[in-house]
Amino acid sequence: MIKYSKNFVIGIWSLIKGLAVTMKYCFRPAVTVQYPTEKRPMSDCYRGLVGLHREKCIVCYQCVKMCPTACLAITHKLEDKKKILETFKYNMELCCFCGLCEQVCPADAIVMTKIYEISVYDRKKLDINLLDDKKYDEWTHTTIK
Amino acid sequence: MLSILTIIWALIVGIIVLGFIAASAMFLIWWERKVSAHIQSRYGPMRVGWHGVLQSVADAVKLLLKENIIPAEADKLVWWLAPFIAVVPPVMAFVVLPFGKNLIVKDLNVGVLYLMALSSVSVIGIFMAGWGSNNKYSLIGGMRSAAQIISYELPLILSMIIVAMQAGSLSMQKIVLAQAGCWNIFHPNLAIAFFVYLTSATAEINRVPFDIPEAESELVAGFHTEYSGMKFAMFFIGEYTNLFIISAIAATLFFGGWQGPVLPGVVWFLIKSYGIVFVLMWVRWTFPRLRVDQLMGFAWKVLTPISFFNLALTGWLLIK
Repeated sequence: MIKYSKNFVIGIWSLIKGLAVTMKYCFRPAVTVQYPTEKRPMSDCYRGLVGLHREKCIVCYQCVKMCPTACLAITHKLEDKKKILETFKYNMELCCFCGLCEQVCPADAIVMTKIYEISVYDRKKLDINLLDDKKYDEWTHTTIK
Repeated sequence: MLSILTIIWALIVGIIVLGFIAASAMFLIWWERKVSAHIQSRYGPMRVGWHGVLQSVADAVKLLLKENIIPAEADKLVWWLAPFIAVVPPVMAFVVLPFGKNLIVKDLNVGVLYLMALSSVSVIGIFMAGWGSNNKYSLIGGMRSAAQIISYELPLILSMIIVAMQAGSLSMQKIVLAQAGCWNIFHPNLAIAFFVYLTSATAEINRVPFDIPEAESELVAGFHTEYSGMKFAMFFIGEYTNLFIISAIAATLFFGGWQGPVLPGVVWFLIKSYGIVFVLMWVRWTFPRLRVDQLMGFAWKVLTPISFFNLALTGWLLIK
């Protein structure tokens, strides 16, 4: 009987404690954000779409060799024994966002951007020309750069 | 001539009550979503109207436009009638609710008895829904609902009887007037009765922590798994009207009904009722669901003995 009443009191007390916890949380500010209108800044190590600083690129082909899904493709021409970038294709459909291209790049030319809203209506748009300066305009107008 | 006037009067009252029920149910659904969101550190509906206040209207429009799907193997008549039987008893309960001094549809001299009778009718609707759907989950939900409501009826009625004993009347208005000096909740025996009432009423309307008839994680949605569109909306309206009804009854029986200083009676009544609704929402978003055996054990081994003891105590206090 003593055990029963002790359990009873403990049980009631735990219910009251639970109610107090939820009431406390009821008046705390929300931790979520109103997504499309309000956005969280991404962390520095976030790996979004691949971006390119074309002036830094030394056309060493390290990124092409390193890419596990072979989503990058480069062509170049020679001018005065210097390699000049001709095309730099990035097939986003294949990309696994591993970031190995960024790590291996000796000139820090290839980078992972913070763009994460990467859905498109046309499959052709997934084949991105990294030399085009306006390549991500369509996507970045809603995203934090 | 008199009969025509009576019919017109009845129509006006009916429209007012039905309008209040629809508005109240929509408001309660929005409020419930807001309370749950804030307890879980979220925002809840924010887009439709100010802080999503018109979200329920948008939902109602959506449900009105939805297709009404009837399962191929359903017992058509039973299936079709069930939502109506589930929604009519809570609407009928509005007849005896005293919103103000003269603001009552009809002050029946057996008001409390009438409410007790109605509270057990809606279980038929739920059981019909479970049976008519011809789906094992719905049937289990309906069965559980019947078992649960019959078990919790006893402590519920016993705690309401204590109030009737104290007031010496079954009429809702007279119970309110009897609390003129001191609300019932301030009497110790009636305070116990209040907690028993609130617990068993929560079970009576199938709300968490007693929502085993519609336990989402076990029974999909229990008795209303097969319902879509406006039929589902009727169950929903019935549920939230029931929520308001039990809170309003609690406010009338234990918190002095429409009585209160300064503000008009109807305002006091609504404040008290919605206050109790908030407590029920708060409880819902705090506690987990009980197991079936725990639920039955709780009704028969804890609440019913407490009610009987309380009944004897009140009798003794009244005779003494």
